Amino acid sequence: MNGPIRKVAIAVFIAFAVLLLDITYIQAIAGPGYRDDPRNPRVQIGIAGKERGLILDATGVQLARSEALEDDPNLFVRVYPEGGLFAHSVGFTSSLFGDWGVESSYATELRSKRDLTISDLIDALLGRDLQAQNLELTLVAELQRVAAEALGDQAGAVVALDPSTGAVLAFVSSPTFDPNSIISKSAAAAWEALANDPAAPLRDRVSRESYAPGSTFKVITAAAAIEAGVAGPDTTFANPPELELPGSTAVIRNFAGTLCGDGNEVTLREAFRRSCNTVFGQLAMDLGASVLEQQAEAFGFNRQIPFEWETLTAAFPTADTLSSNLPALAQSGLGQRDVQATPLLMAMVAATIGNGGLQMEPYMVARIYDAAGNVVDEHQPSVWATPISPATADVVAAMMEQVVASGTATRAAVAGVRVAGKTGTAETEIGPPHAWFIGFAPVDNPTIALAVVVEEGGDAGENATGGSVAAPVAKRLFEFWLLNR
Amino acid sequence: MTRSAEAAFLLGASALASFGVAMANLAGGGGVDAQVALTFLVFLIAFGSLHLALRQWAPRASFYLLPLVAIITAVGLTMIYRLDPDRAGLQRWWLLIAAALAVGLLFAVRSTGLEPLRRYRYLLLLGSLVLLLLPLLPTDWSIPLRGKTVNGSRLWVEFIAGPIGIQFQPGEIAKLLLVVFLASYLAERHTVLASGTRTIGRLRLVEPRQLVPVLVAWTASFGVLVYQRDLGASLLLFAVFLTLLYMATGRAAYPIIGTGMFFVGAFFAWQAFSHVERRVIAWLRPFSDFDGAGYQIAQGLFAMGSGSLAGSGVGLGRPELIPFAQTDFLFAAIGEELGLAGAVVVLCAFALLTAVGFGIALRSRDLFRKLLAAGLTFVLGLQTFLIIGGVVRVLPLTGITLPFMSYGGSSLVSNMVLIAVLARLSHEEPT
Repeated sequence: MNGPIRKVAIAVFIAFAVLLLDITYIQAIAGPGYRDDPRNPRVQIGIAGKERGLILDATGVQLARSEALEDDPNLFVRVYPEGGLFAHSVGFTSSLFGDWGVESSYATELRSKRDLTISDLIDALLGRDLQAQNLELTLVAELQRVAAEALGDQAGAVVALDPSTGAVLAFVSSPTFDPNSIISKSAAAAWEALANDPAAPLRDRVSRESYAPGSTFKVITAAAAIEAGVAGPDTTFANPPELELPGSTAVIRNFAGTLCGDGNEVTLREAFRRSCNTVFGQLAMDLGASVLEQQAEAFGFNRQIPFEWETLTAAFPTADTLSSNLPALAQSGLGQRDVQATPLLMAMVAATIGNGGLQMEPYMVARIYDAAGNVVDEHQPSVWATPISPATADVVAAMMEQVVASGTATRAAVAGVRVAGKTGTAETEIGPPHAWFIGFAPVDNPTIALAVVVEEGGDAGENATGGSVAAPVAKRLFEFWLLNR
Repeated sequence: MTRSAEAAFLLGASALASFGVAMANLAGGGGVDAQVALTFLVFLIAFGSLHLALRQWAPRASFYLLPLVAIITAVGLTMIYRLDPDRAGLQRWWLLIAAALAVGLLFAVRSTGLEPLRRYRYLLLLGSLVLLLLPLLPTDWSIPLRGKTVNGSRLWVEFIAGPIGIQFQPGEIAKLLLVVFLASYLAERHTVLASGTRTIGRLRLVEPRQLVPVLVAWTASFGVLVYQRDLGASLLLFAVFLTLLYMATGRAAYPIIGTGMFFVGAFFAWQAFSHVERRVIAWLRPFSDFDGAGYQIAQGLFAMGSGSLAGSGVGLGRPELIPFAQTDFLFAAIGEELGLAGAVVVLCAFALLTAVGFGIALRSRDLFRKLLAAGLTFVLGLQTFLIIGGVVRVLPLTGITLPFMSYGGSSLVSNMVLIAVLARLSHEEPT
């Protein structure tokens, strides 16, 4: 009778083998499909978490909020109603890819503290509030929108500050991305596409990307000369067609190889207005490496800027390397060679000129509220550095006003408003130049200072200059901020 | 392997269960609590007493049965605890009760062997039928023993003693008694059932009277389906009957004709019962009726797919999203949290257990014991196949418990008794 029993046993083992094959198929082969299926509730729960506080702009516009899931009121998904507009400033919070921006820096405040860690337990025993706190930012959504629209689909950055407080009014990095996509059900695919996008939309071009500042650096070179008493706005310089650099065959030419004005001599004011490379190359050599380096560092180069998160440090070559290399010193005075600055720092430079030489610590979070609406913490504006005297600041400001009135930055001029600025057309090794503008307005009591960078000339490409490409972007912001707000 | 090695494995399985409970505790954000020690203790008492019972009353019993059962139970209890700690506490009580009954059986047959089972077969058949019909008791009469419908199936009996209401499925025990009856009956009558073939040319035909037992089985299981709305039990009953007939007679005609009749019955069931139709559609196209009949199966697939190879870890997945994760869909919960690796281990443990059972059948000294061992093993294997197959879409879903794993006392008790009978049978093997 063992024969039939053996056959039954074999049949049972075959049945088990079928099950083994089938679970292998379901879990190993078809598994990822089931795991990522949008109908799999784990997908939504995976992107959901505890409630986090609101993030509002300075005018009360919601930039981030938490919405409860339909099937689980204890789980929340983060929603960014403005889409990509605040992707690099507000950032996002993702269980898969971590937290970015304000969402990361203020994770503790935004977090609901109802998860009973030991410190929260103590808070609870002391009767402290465990609800998530809300943030009010300094950003102004409307200005942000104007900046983003002015930049359009050109790659680059726009950052605007309040010169007297350091409050960041606009913080635009282009191209951008929709943070909602990174916390969506198809987060993994969205992230992969963004990370592999050659246009690098994830990159924060305001505070974590640096560019050669080009002629906008002449603000610092001029300030150094005036602060050191080496030159004033009326000091005259030789006006050669090209500046021969000692110890090398290299020369410095003015833009388009022209002379700087008519005569054989040119004042610093005129050279600044026309952005003459020959004069500023000579001035840099006249100042010497250590004076220029000290002034650059006083403005924040080679130093970590105190901000809501760690920013990229702007770079200026050391005096040691420059003093033995005069061509490099001359070119550094023009913001070329190894000089690299973030748009955030260059906006701070413009703000410092406008604020009488006081460089304010930049910040983006104005107030923290508890759930009941009481202010828990409020940012107090503080002076970070005093790189130049008020007198020097006034002189440089006047020179910058000339640049907008009748110099390279006339396209940043706004009728009826005194605007100060400086353009830059930074040569790059790889392609068209980066177009820069830094400035502030109104000159006598500025309420906005900004920096604009359009990468590789933007739409204008090889023909781009700071005056033709970046200045018009700045103009849109000045107009909105000073006239239409 | 020796009896002492068996003890070591049982100790390991007890540690596994308490380790699983500890993991679930830690993953849930809490600390290791008394549940861990309690689980260890319950396993030690339950399997330790079974082990001692074997040492005392069935010393030649197989060493492999208890360790496999203990490991399967440990993984099952871990998952139940992870899904619902309160139910795991109840399940621990059931484990103690099941072990006590199994020990009691081993004690009762210590000197007589399993001979009485053969002798009193009609009594057992009667008992089986009574148990099967017990759930049809009125649900609202005054006697504290009432029928009960759970999830649309009339399989339950509720026994009310004061404030405590104990629910159990008498069908689980009835299933064992039926196997004993059939083994005993067929061991005696197999020659009659196997003889008298008419041949026409090379074609061997079956005598009409030989079809009678098949018809009886078919009717009985169809009756279970109609009156108790239990697809799984109906299928199990029919398959066990046919398989035992085949093993007793060696006549392949029985399973072949039976399978044909099964399809006829299945077709009628499809036509007549909406719940059967819904299950078949959910099986074939779970995603086409995602919000309806297919929901549970789809959630099981999502869980297993999310578990992938290594699983999320105990307490770190979301198996509570699967409807009936503690009972019918426990295997999907295992797939999610322990991954393919854990699911394969569990499946292999069941396969080994059936292998041990069939081995006992092959070595048993007479036909009754062979049929009894093979029949019980087949019941165990078929239950496992039916429910896991339903979860992973090899078969339509039937409401059968996963032996030793699913939450439910009656199933645990009947399967533990089944193991005790197998152990006794292996003790009675000729040396």
